[in-house]
Amino acid sequence: MEFMKAKIEEKLKGRIVKWEEKNPKRHYIEIKKDDLRETTEFLFRKLGLRFCIATGIDNIKNMEVIYHFSDDKTGVIYSFRVFTERDGGEIPTISDIIKGAKWIEREIHELLGINFPGNEDLSRLLLDPSWPKGVFPLRKDYEYGRKEELPKSVCSMPTIGAKTGGKDRTIIPIGPYHPLQEEPEFFELEVFGEKVVKVNINLGYNHRGIEKISEGKHWDQVTFLVERICGICSTSHPFAYVLAVEDLLGLEIPERAKYIRSVIGEIERIHSHLLWLGLAGHFLGYNTVWMWAWKYREPVLDLAEQISGNRNHYAMMKIGGVRRDILNSEIDGMKEKLNSIVSALKMFQGAVQDDPIIKARTKNVGTLSRQDAIYYCVIGPTARPSGITMDIRKIDIKNSAYGLVDWNVIATENGDVYDKVVCRILEMFESVKIINQCFDRLKTLKEGEICEEVREIPKGEGIGRYEAPRGEVWHYVRSDGGNTPVRHKIRAPSYMNVASNEVAAAGGTVSDAAITLAAVDPCYCCTERMQAVENGKLKYDWQELIKMSQEKTKKMKGRK
Amino acid sequence: MKEIFYYLVFPGFAFSITAGILASWVERKLTARLQWRVGPPILQPLYDIAKLFTKENVIPKNAQIVTFFLAPLLSFAAVLLVSTMVGSAQFLKGGFRGDIIAVVYLLAIPSLCLILGGAASSNPLASFGAAREMKLILSYELIFWTAIAVTWIKTGGLLKLSEIISFQQSGKYILFSPSGFIAFLLAITTMQAKLGRVPFDVAEAETEILAGPYIEYSGPLLGFFKMSQYILLVALPFFLCEIFMGGVNILKYFIMLLLVVLIENTNPRLKITQFLWFSWIILFPIGIIAIILALAGL
Repeated sequence: MEFMKAKIEEKLKGRIVKWEEKNPKRHYIEIKKDDLRETTEFLFRKLGLRFCIATGIDNIKNMEVIYHFSDDKTGVIYSFRVFTERDGGEIPTISDIIKGAKWIEREIHELLGINFPGNEDLSRLLLDPSWPKGVFPLRKDYEYGRKEELPKSVCSMPTIGAKTGGKDRTIIPIGPYHPLQEEPEFFELEVFGEKVVKVNINLGYNHRGIEKISEGKHWDQVTFLVERICGICSTSHPFAYVLAVEDLLGLEIPERAKYIRSVIGEIERIHSHLLWLGLAGHFLGYNTVWMWAWKYREPVLDLAEQISGNRNHYAMMKIGGVRRDILNSEIDGMKEKLNSIVSALKMFQGAVQDDPIIKARTKNVGTLSRQDAIYYCVIGPTARPSGITMDIRKIDIKNSAYGLVDWNVIATENGDVYDKVVCRILEMFESVKIINQCFDRLKTLKEGEICEEVREIPKGEGIGRYEAPRGEVWHYVRSDGGNTPVRHKIRAPSYMNVASNEVAAAGGTVSDAAITLAAVDPCYCCTERMQAVENGKLKYDWQELIKMSQEKTKKMKGRK
Repeated sequence: MKEIFYYLVFPGFAFSITAGILASWVERKLTARLQWRVGPPILQPLYDIAKLFTKENVIPKNAQIVTFFLAPLLSFAAVLLVSTMVGSAQFLKGGFRGDIIAVVYLLAIPSLCLILGGAASSNPLASFGAAREMKLILSYELIFWTAIAVTWIKTGGLLKLSEIISFQQSGKYILFSPSGFIAFLLAITTMQAKLGRVPFDVAEAETEILAGPYIEYSGPLLGFFKMSQYILLVALPFFLCEIFMGGVNILKYFIMLLLVVLIENTNPRLKITQFLWFSWIILFPIGIIAIILALAGL
């Protein structure tokens, strides 16, 4: 830890404007923007730090961009602060050094109006093409809740084919509406026959401006807001957010709350991986796997419902602890339910390892080499199959129970789709192991001590991160002592992972591309229950269904 | 007159579409039960067809209209003819003439129509599907012929379906000879491909190219394609039962249908290159071995 710090200090001798050590794991270093490229090159190439994300902030008097680098061996985050003018501000690009920084520079460019000379492609990433020019929604003079008038007829499709290189190439569109991606993302596959030559990725169909909304919400309300980012990672975002605020406060939460947090986080991981496994089966045309995986996901969702009252949006996280306790008397029943899925997991493991056709479809397909994984800064189960043994749960473990229980990081070597499947299946076994240990410890702790009281959020900044099922989620918050965050930067894992499809999907066939694009597990959302209709008549309406759901939860809670 | 009755009522259109709807329901119900789902009501395939025939036909702007229109109709007509031939060989002794060569030719027509229709619809995904369907035919068609040839050799050169049935009814079932058994397995594999079922549904591949050649079809035209599929689900197993098991009955047919459903639900989809390789490197030599065995009298 000290070694790395000393190296950075030595390299940047005399050029560090300010070195602020908030705590041993969070360093904020101010440098001049002209030194940025050299610093980045040194950190990324020489020291092997991983680029997490950049945060752009409008300070009204000037613009600030913070480049966050993570040391994945020790879990220390070095954040390099750079300032520039508010109007017409420029910061040299780092996207030619780190491919993973391409998108964030485009994003800061369109949302805050900072220019990045040297970055060739600064076209819009998230905003609609019809959005007026020169209006930057993340600046502070853009009032919260303001609406822009949209032109009457808008063609919001990006210009297809404009970038197509040679002739004889056809564009196969995957998205914005496609059975493969149930969420609106748009992959243009440039194909030559069956072979995919190039992949162009277009985003922004679903941009909801959550970072801006967050600046208008109270600290406690933001936990519920970030939960809505994704229905499947619905506890990872609040988890990382409360960790960020606790990092700002320097708070340590009660032990019981730590175990409960980890239990919920791991339940989410299992159900998310099972969901993905099912979808992967579906993408390969193996619908039986799809339905079976989702059937065996049900007991896991029941567990979540038993603990939190909800199948997907758990609302368990709270600054200073958790919102609900787990009753010690229910733990034995829950353990039984949890361990009932182990045999199903073993069956899936066997099916994947033994089925020759699954192997033929996934082995050596969509390979992401270790080198590309590093350049694109991918994380989680997209990086680990490429041989990068990195897991936030091992290195940044404050205020969660991962340091208190015994478990292993799963990593494989080849980086192909097969390894990604295997990696996710093995991770579920580890998750079961973690939850079982947490349950055992919970039984020895007194019920009720689940939360520290937090009244004021003082001035300061904090970074929280958590290993979501898809990789590291990243939350940065800054407070000026008021009751809302001044800046709340959120980076979901797919933001880094999806970009790596540029290399992983190119070179294969269209059939390969389908499963490769899906193998990073882009996020899907499913929240509501249904209305039941029988023979054309409404059998249960919305209210009745809610009542039935509540009764089911009650029934489960009553069961030992 | 008689011929028209055969063609339109029994064992042609009316009978085979009813049987097809039932078979399709059985397939969907079994699939659903295998996947822990409830499954559709018994008349669901009929509802599907009825719905399609009340809907609008949307024709893409740049489509080759004549080909686009004719492809599903031609496919449907060919399949009806197959079902009439196959059915009359079983149910009306020699009523409607037809030999296996005609049947095998007619069975290739639905795939050809799919290629024509896909290519005519001026959609990159449809032409993708059409190209894949073409490669599929290249892969399985010859295998299908070798499988049929085994029966032809074993029966001493009989070509008429009704004669092949009566030949086997004297106890010499083709299926129970070594060469016949191998040929039967090959025929099952190609049947799966001809029906467009997993693992050989590459041409349709919903999650890759969104149903491929069918993508631009809607309304009644899609309905004709659907009906050809339903009827094919009856006619093709009937045909295999007749040439390998000496005739059809409910039990034999159900076993064939069960095989289709089981294969469909226990495999992921192959890639087109893998299927080409699989048929030419593995299945074709096996077919040759079967023919050699048959010539040796085994």
